[in-house]
Amino acid sequence: MSEVKNVKKQTVTVTIDGKKITANYGKTILEVARENGIYIPTMCYLTKVEPIASCRMCVVEVEGVEGMILSCQEKAVDGAVITTNSEQLEKERQNIMKLYDVNHPLECGVCDKSGECDLQNKTLEFGVAEQSFSAKDMHRPVQNWGFISYDPSLCILCERCVRVCNEIVGSEQLQISPGGYKSTIVNTKPENDCVSCGECMAVCPVGALVSTDFKYTANAWELNKIPSSCALCSSGCQLYYDVKHGSISDPQEKIYRVTNEAEFSSLCGAGRFGFDYANTAAFKDKAKFEQAVEALKKADSIAFSSVITNEEALLLKNIAQETGAKLVCADAAGFAKFLKAYSSTSGRSLWSANLKTVANSDAIITLGLRVKDEAPMVKNHIAMAVKHNKAKVVYMHPMEDYAIGNLVSKFIKYEAGSEEGVTAMLLEFLTRGKEMPEALKEFIDELDIGNISGESSVSEEEIESLKLEFWKRRKFTLIVGEDLYNHPQAENIAKMLGVIERYSDFELLIVPPRSNSLGVALVCDELEDKPSGWTVGYNAPGDFVLSALGDGDLDMPAINQQEGTIATVDKRVVPLNVALGYDGYVLNDLANALGVGRKHTIDLTKELPQNRGFKPLEFDSLECAKFSPLGEDLRGYELKIIKKRASAKLEDVEDLPSFDGVVVYNCNSASNPNPFTQKAKMTAKEPKLVGSQQFAQAAKLNDGDLVEFEVEGQRCQRVFSIDTQMKGTIALNPTFDMGLSAFAVSSYKFSKVNIKKVGSGNE
Amino acid sequence: MSQVLFSTWQGELIDNRGKPKEEWEETKFKLPLEYDSGTPSRAFIGWDGVAIFDENIDAVKLACEYAHQYQKYSEACGRCAPGRWGGRILYDLLDKIARGEGSFDDIEHLQEISKTMMQTSKCEIGRTVPKPLLDLMEHYKEQFDVCILEQKKSHEYDKDTKYIAKITAPCMDMCPSHVDIPAYIEGVRDMEFTNSLKATRQTMPLAHTCGRVCPHPCEDACRRANLDEPISIMELKRLGADYETDHNLQWLHPQEPKPPRNDGKKVAIVGAGPAGLTAAYYLGLEGIAVDIFEELPVLGGEVAVGVPQYRMPIEKYNKDIELVTSLPTVNVYTNHKVDAKRLKELDAEYDAVLLAFGTRLSKKVRAKNEREEIKGYWGAISMLDKVNLWNKYKIGSPASEDLKDKVVVCVGGGFTSMDVVRCAVREGAKKVIMLYRRDEKTIIRNTTYEEYHEAVEEGVEFIFHSAVEEIIDENDVLKKLKVNRFELVPDPNGGRPQLVKIEGADFEIECDFLIPAVSQSADLSILPEEWNIELTSWNTILTNGRDYMSSRPGLFAAGDCEYGPMTIVNAVGQAKRAASVISRYIYDGKVSLTDEEIMEDHLKRLGVYNKNEKITGWMPGIPREVSEKLSVDERKTNNLEVNLGFTGEQAIAEAERCMRCYYIAMVAV
Repeated sequence: MSEVKNVKKQTVTVTIDGKKITANYGKTILEVARENGIYIPTMCYLTKVEPIASCRMCVVEVEGVEGMILSCQEKAVDGAVITTNSEQLEKERQNIMKLYDVNHPLECGVCDKSGECDLQNKTLEFGVAEQSFSAKDMHRPVQNWGFISYDPSLCILCERCVRVCNEIVGSEQLQISPGGYKSTIVNTKPENDCVSCGECMAVCPVGALVSTDFKYTANAWELNKIPSSCALCSSGCQLYYDVKHGSISDPQEKIYRVTNEAEFSSLCGAGRFGFDYANTAAFKDKAKFEQAVEALKKADSIAFSSVITNEEALLLKNIAQETGAKLVCADAAGFAKFLKAYSSTSGRSLWSANLKTVANSDAIITLGLRVKDEAPMVKNHIAMAVKHNKAKVVYMHPMEDYAIGNLVSKFIKYEAGSEEGVTAMLLEFLTRGKEMPEALKEFIDELDIGNISGESSVSEEEIESLKLEFWKRRKFTLIVGEDLYNHPQAENIAKMLGVIERYSDFELLIVPPRSNSLGVALVCDELEDKPSGWTVGYNAPGDFVLSALGDGDLDMPAINQQEGTIATVDKRVVPLNVALGYDGYVLNDLANALGVGRKHTIDLTKELPQNRGFKPLEFDSLECAKFSPLGEDLRGYELKIIKKRASAKLEDVEDLPSFDGVVVYNCNSASNPNPFTQKAKMTAKEPKLVGSQQFAQAAKLNDGDLVEFEVEGQRCQRVFSIDTQMKGTIALNPTFDMGLSAFAVSSYKFSKVNIKKVGSGNE
Repeated sequence: MSQVLFSTWQGELIDNRGKPKEEWEETKFKLPLEYDSGTPSRAFIGWDGVAIFDENIDAVKLACEYAHQYQKYSEACGRCAPGRWGGRILYDLLDKIARGEGSFDDIEHLQEISKTMMQTSKCEIGRTVPKPLLDLMEHYKEQFDVCILEQKKSHEYDKDTKYIAKITAPCMDMCPSHVDIPAYIEGVRDMEFTNSLKATRQTMPLAHTCGRVCPHPCEDACRRANLDEPISIMELKRLGADYETDHNLQWLHPQEPKPPRNDGKKVAIVGAGPAGLTAAYYLGLEGIAVDIFEELPVLGGEVAVGVPQYRMPIEKYNKDIELVTSLPTVNVYTNHKVDAKRLKELDAEYDAVLLAFGTRLSKKVRAKNEREEIKGYWGAISMLDKVNLWNKYKIGSPASEDLKDKVVVCVGGGFTSMDVVRCAVREGAKKVIMLYRRDEKTIIRNTTYEEYHEAVEEGVEFIFHSAVEEIIDENDVLKKLKVNRFELVPDPNGGRPQLVKIEGADFEIECDFLIPAVSQSADLSILPEEWNIELTSWNTILTNGRDYMSSRPGLFAAGDCEYGPMTIVNAVGQAKRAASVISRYIYDGKVSLTDEEIMEDHLKRLGVYNKNEKITGWMPGIPREVSEKLSVDERKTNNLEVNLGFTGEQAIAEAERCMRCYYIAMVAV
């Protein structure tokens, strides 16, 4: 074994087209070539997945080796002398293109892909001017898969879609139905199982998979690509808004679709399909603007949501300082306190893991989040870990999520509200036998695990079974989410997590609850979670409301109409650009009226607080869509992690609050995470309360009943729907239809509710 | 050696056309001249050439049909551009010529496409299909020319000659269960682990088991060995099974199990070991009612009570077993011994009976004073039963009560003896000695390199070239052994070296236990005497090795009781075939094989793997992955699984080394 390992540590020297190159063993010939700017044509290759090897275009010649070598899959072996281009290679590649072109419908004129089609490009590149042989064609009807339409006649069976669906998204929905010439891609699960992320469509090199919404609406070359970052959750994924005016008679620009650098990065359904939430109706209403300035002057509280840029957050902070108002951010205040508490025991300002380290893990615990719905990109990276590293995934939450059963190796269910106790159990288990200060050891020794186990319903055996689950694993990540940040004992939970990170084998990933909760937490020092007195709301409820949804007292631009930056789960600051222009007033105008503005909002980018890890860089210097040839994310910059003194003491684990009766979990789906995507035409959904059969019985409800209840003062009226695959007594309650009030829900995500039936399913 | 009209098989060029029979050149290959008893074949065409047995063969149609099979048997194709389109074009153009509409341009295109396919296809099927087609176009040119020049159909175009094709691969052919190895490896490569497992289970229900303890004969027939090192085929099988188990997925069957037939037909299986379970699985998948009768209190046969936990964790094996017992038509009866009387009842009550009771009698070492009564003389099967029943099921009592701090001598040299000595170490024996007649090289060949070295690491003392001459007891308590030493004396005539006793080199070993693990035999007392069941010369149940029916109609036998002590994969392969034969026999009372099975046997006879073949189109020098094992200290005193299996990264890298050596063979009859 050691022998083999040694071989792998070696660096290898290869010669490609006469150029001598040294690389680490394990890289493929194609990777080494690409890193060194040497072009080898490919059709099926996709950097972000393992080589697919279906197109065979990337064949090269190697001295002393008979036959052609597949460069995408074959590793660069020491001493290899490689030729990437010769008459013979050119001829075979041309022949492959001839085959690809056999019977490919000549409908480029109306094909959505025309102009950015790989088949088109390579056909031209290899000069395939005519079809010199043919095959008997067959009828292949077009299929509609939700947001996506599949045309098998255009499909070249490169298998990229199947790969990403399996390897990146982990939903295993698309499969090859092999059958020689009859081979086709099949959608194996009913439509509602699909996560509708559009990954398959994004990586399709031809027009086989296209957006049904976009189909036949524009040509690729007419669209203006605006590079930006998605601001719908804290992953901040790279994207382009493809923008064009409506028609000759309609000069108004609109977003036709969202695309991305699919070679390297991914998007979820919300990012890809929930893009049309811009506030387009606004104009400069001087009178209202004046009212807004006065409102800010007299406000006791300024409430805002953390779907906001860092620069806006800084503007609000400056305004508040000027007017003496207090800053209220319901969805980031708890998170900010949580981070502080975490730092007090971990000794660092930010968590150690990122999405990439999640994907590289082979042992993962998730705690306190419904990862598929609340953090789809984290879920994707867990899927990559499962597929690449056979990762064991322990999913700890009061509700199982059957939709990702194929990724999870163990569900550990705990009682809603018992997160502190569960964290304590993990703390005790994960730090066993580790070097740590006596005081901490004593604290852990004194934990009444028996009692905690009883109250949380997590048995000691379940925790002990993790030993076997994680036996001989190498890279450990603990992922925690939103349920913890507003827990009554959030700070103690955070401190315990800090200890786990510092002393156990686990790295920690703290998933920020909203798009820029991290940025807000870093920019604003003092945040409250509830307003008091007279309140101005910025995308939050208040006595005077500034709203990007267009329903407030003064309109504001939506986040895709602004320049600025957000801080992501990857601890990276990434830039946003203006997808669509905005004719109304922006926050900076208000700040200027109060004497604390800048010429442009983005003048504040370089002013973001360095003592919290930001860098004094100009906005215009930040890259928006940059990746290395092998796919490393080079956008924006990484936040600096500030060392802290790890001194805090842990507090005793409190008696756990009990959650009896009818309980709902306030949670949106990945493709419709907030009121903005509820405004978008593809992602908008009818809000439904969804529960198991068991929940229906406990709450005395029938499928289809119209129900009413209150969550933190917000009245919800919904149709109740039974999901027969769900288990347990907690129902899922969306908040995307609550308008700006959704951003004012700051409480712990499980709510005890009193459900009133106001109509029956049969009516 | 046999006479064929024409052959290009594996580079030979035999053309006896127009020659008188007595001058015919003979082929050196075992080509399938006769398809099935009484049915001659007209031609055989495959990855390495074409052979014609009938002078009236329609070569154009033959070529066309072979290309057609490539389209039809497409589990193996459609996954690369040259194969997908190229294969279709080959067929379309050949058919165009055969139906009298072709041109010489088409011939040119055929040659061009063939070349691209042979150079760039993803798997061997695409690379090899054009070869015999080109051979036919060259050597039977006149038939192609006639079709083109006269624009007429080839002479058998509308006749219904039967063309029977089969997909194979060198590894699949060598595997006694004919597991679709390239498919399950591709599943790992693609990280489609569920597909990987389904591919395995087409012919091998015991995926966890044969991903761990199979001696993997397939790896001796891996073409990758011709380039650098064979693929680690066996260990890649674990990935799919682990994925199902780790994620608590629903059972992944190769196809949806058919609903219970409830037609009164039922099959009895005696023994719930690998053979019994396998037969039950494939009959159960067909919806046929199966009752399994097992003498032991647990299911699984020798893999359960013979193979130790550290090599084959029972919780994994139980998954394989549950897969079988989860089928609605499979019932099991444990603690149910079938003797001759009971077998007669089963024979009367059931439509067919499959004997799969293995070989559970330990053979003697043939020493003086070898008596069962001696305390300390302990047969390997019974010793392992005790160890495993306790360790895995907590049945009985710990073997450590007997073995702790004792000196244990095992006589053996095969897998069972390795299990004995390594279990003895784990049960706390003070000293464990293995006596073996032959040398280190042979013991490694009979077991595996890993197995031997792990035993040495754990402190087992191997004494080679030695055999027990006499067992010495005191009042029926074992005291010591008298051991002879041997040496290998080369045969001056160049034959096999002989073991010759070294005079005066005898020595004694004081010990508490002698565990004979030389071999096992079948307990044939189960067979009613009056049935006069025919036996093999080594006292197992005789069948023809193809349909597994014994000399008594309706009584089948598979696994070790048919073959003698052999591997799990051998038992599985036999039982799968027996189940297939039984599934027809219970309805028509006939013993028949499917075309697939007939072809399987032909290919086995011909041999698919060619160790002299030169591999082209692959980068040599990529080392085989080696999985992590527990260190000696981590494993010696417990029963934790020693082999941790591949990491995900290793598994993918290893799967990427697989060259997907699928081939198509076809016979025209």
